[in-house]
Parts: sequence; structure tokens; C-alpha cells
Amino acid sequence: MIGAVGRMRGVWRYRELLHSLVVRNLKVKYQRSLLGFVWTLVNPLFTVAVLGVVFSHVVRIPLPHYWAFLLSGYFVWNFMLQTLNTGTYIFAEHSRLTRSVAFPSEILVFGAAGSRLIEFAVEVALVLAVLAIFHHHVVPESYLVLPVLLLIQLLLVIGLALPIATLSVFYYDVHHALPIALTTLFYLSPVFYPAEMVPAAARDLYFLNPIAGLLTLYHDVLYWGRMPSPELLGGMLLAAVTSFLAGYALFRRYAAIFPEIV
Amino acid sequence: MPAVVLRGVSKRFYFYEHRTSSLREWFIRRVLRRPIHVGRAAFTLHDVDLTVGRGEAVALLGRNGSGKSTVLRLIAGIYQTSSGTVRTEGRITAVIELGAGFHPELTGAENIALYAAVLGLTRRELAEHYEEIVEFAAIPDLPDTPLKYYSSGMEARLAFSVAVCLQPDILLLDEVLAVGDQAFRERCLQRLRQYHARGGTLVLVSHELEQLRELCTRAVWLDQGRILMDGPIDMVLERYREQE
Repeated sequence: MIGAVGRMRGVWRYRELLHSLVVRNLKVKYQRSLLGFVWTLVNPLFTVAVLGVVFSHVVRIPLPHYWAFLLSGYFVWNFMLQTLNTGTYIFAEHSRLTRSVAFPSEILVFGAAGSRLIEFAVEVALVLAVLAIFHHHVVPESYLVLPVLLLIQLLLVIGLALPIATLSVFYYDVHHALPIALTTLFYLSPVFYPAEMVPAAARDLYFLNPIAGLLTLYHDVLYWGRMPSPELLGGMLLAAVTSFLAGYALFRRYAAIFPEIV
Repeated sequence: MPAVVLRGVSKRFYFYEHRTSSLREWFIRRVLRRPIHVGRAAFTLHDVDLTVGRGEAVALLGRNGSGKSTVLRLIAGIYQTSSGTVRTEGRITAVIELGAGFHPELTGAENIALYAAVLGLTRRELAEHYEEIVEFAAIPDLPDTPLKYYSSGMEARLAFSVAVCLQPDILLLDEVLAVGDQAFRERCLQRLRQYHARGGTLVLVSHELEQLRELCTRAVWLDQGRILMDGPIDMVLERYREQE
């Protein structure tokens, strides 16, 4: 705990760098692209459209406005997927930097999560508007919980990305293993079906996957327009903080020798 | 208090390619109960004592692989020691690899900001030095041109300009003085003399002995990770040349 606090203070001294990295990531991504942010939307929207057709006309998932259900979770899934994938190459990408400057290298991971979160914020703002207009026909009060959801999401993704990034420095296998793990998780998370459809007997096991809890929170808030249960919200907050601290601790154990390896 | 104090510093490296490099191998070793960390250890530094006074200019000499860069990385705090202690006083800027942290798609101005941030500077501190950096680098259209359109010499010039213009208390340079054309090198040397004259501490690695003699008053000769000789630069250089 104390170690983490001390380390965070070191990171705070480098907040300027964090800001620069976030700006750089976004600039580099959108700089020479005519349609820019549109591309960021095209990919998930296309998937949502395909899932929408398949699961409302072929395999029927009995939900009103199924498209609204998909929209309320898919962008969150997409955020997790992309940020975790970044973890596998972030230190390799910055190997020259890590070898020649002494700085807290977790900032690279924070920066990647930060720039992705900004993109997500724009995406979710659009989703909020679309759902309020075409699905709810009012602005639901539950939207107010959204900042808490964003916090949970950010802590969770960093808590998972740091160990992935650490492991990737030592084992190249992570590159190959992570896509398989994420494909599996796609089916084991409530992305295209609601968690309520999971048999009650298996639900405890099912919710060991923190992404399942996160998506359920988003479904509550965005799709159902209702306040999530305090148990789920509190539990997820606790899980996110725990995963952040544990992931950070693992990272700190090995970070000092990164410059010798990358 | 001196600027840099290394006391009994050793640095041991493992050859990580000798460790398990894949999960499959890891599992096999796990199952067969073979040690996972089988890396051969190799010392690059052995019990090094080195004190650099404030305002001193010290040259590190030695063949490739003698441990010069390792010493710089230890002073800069990039590496942790295997044993012994490193103490430093003041802001350190280490230029180990020119242009590390630069991004080819960003412009010169954006790269300057990024590099300064990596070195731990605030935006206000950078603003104080920005004009000086641009002027010193003397690259036409520098602020607005993406880095990928620079020649490699220009890129090195930009990196060097940022490092020297930020006025650190301790400046560590690793064979980066061979950048740019003759005129730029001359200006670099002049700039470093100026930095030193203003009380800056300098630790320099270079194979250009005459350059070292011009800038430094003291030399430390490293051989196979140990300090072979430490003294006035003329004396050490003379012995070093005899040996080589």
C-alpha cells in the first residue's frame, strides 16, 4: 500500500509526460487520416450491426430494442479489448526510451489507457444521446452513475494491462495467448446476451470475470436506465481497486529490470 | 556534497535469452523441476568507487564492453545496482541514445515537448528554454516539420540541443558527440564548455580522445568492469594510448 502511494507520487511528478503521451497517441492516430474519428466508430458499429442482425433474426435474444442493448455494452468491450492488446507491445514499442531515460515506465500504460479513455468518452457520449432519443425517449437519471462506471473501468483496465505488459516483456507468448483469451472472454462476457440468461447455478462462477460485472453495470445504466444494485456497484468498485493495486504491485516487482531486457 | 557518489557498485547482468523464453519451456521446466532462472550471470561492473565533484568534467575511457555505458545508466538511475550505492545530487539529464522518445509523425516542436516531458520538465520550464533549443538546433522550419522528414543528422542535432539547453545539474553523454556536421560539432563543444564553465557537472563517454581532452580535466579508465586508473586526463590518456 505504502509502496504504491510512494510510487504514485513519483508518477504525479511526471504528469506532464502523461499529458504529452495522451496527446501524442491521439495526434499520431488521427493526424493523417481524413475521416479520423469516424474510423474509430466504423469498426465497432459494423460489429454491432452484424451482431444485431444475427441475434435478433437468426438466434433470437428476447430483448426489446436489441440494438440498444448491444450499443450499451459493445463499446465498453471494445475499450477493454484494445487497451489490453496495447499492453502486449507497449514496452517493446518504447524500448529505446526505457533503456535511455529513467522515468516511471507505468506512465506508458497509463498514457495508452488515458488516450483510449478519451476516445471512449466521445463514443459513449454519442451512445448516451442515441439511447436517450430513440430508446428511452427521456434522459434517464441512471446516467448520473456514469462517472463511477468510468472510474471502475479505468482502474480495472490498468490493473489488467499492467500484468499483461509485464509478462510481455519476459515472454513473447503473451502476444499469441492474449487474443485467444480475449476471444474466449467475448463469449463468456455479456456482450451480445444479458447476464440474466446465464443459468443461476453458474452465475457466481460467471461473475468471477470482472468484465462481466462491468458490462452488466453498463447494461443497467445505459440500456435499462435503472440504478445498478449497490451490491454490484460496490463489489465492482472493490474488484477494480483490488485489481489495480495487485496489478501495480506485480508490475513494480519487475519494472526495475525492464531497461536491461527490452 | 559531491554531484555523484558510487560506492562499491557492482552490476550483474543475466543473459535473459538463456532463461526460459517461452511459456512452453516454462511449463517443461516446471514439470521437470528444473530451475527457471538458469541465466548465466555476467558482471559488467565490479566494485566500482567513483566520486564526481560538483562542476567537475570527467571522461570515461575504455574499450567496448568495459562498462562505461553501464556506469552512466547507473548514475542516471536507469539501472539498479546489484550491490553498492549510487547517490546523486541535482537534476540529471542522460543522453544515452539520441532521439529516444522521439516520434517520427510528430513535428519538431511536439517532439521537443515530449522529450522534455520524458526528462521530467514541466511545461513552464520547457517554455524558458524553448527558443534557445530551436535556435541552437538551427534546423530550418524545425517547429512545423514532422520528424520523419529530417535527416538522421538533423534528428540527432535536435536531441542534443534539447539535452544541453535544459541546463541540468549533471549531464551524462554517451558517445553522442559525433553527431552532425563539423560546424555543429564545433558548436556542441563550445556549448559544453560553456555549460561546464557555468558550474555544470559533466560525465562523458567517447572514443574521440582529443575531444575528451578538450572538455575534461579528469579521466577514469575502465577495463572489464573495474576502474584501472583514475586521474588527470593527460596522464590517463597517455597510459591509455600506450596500452591500446
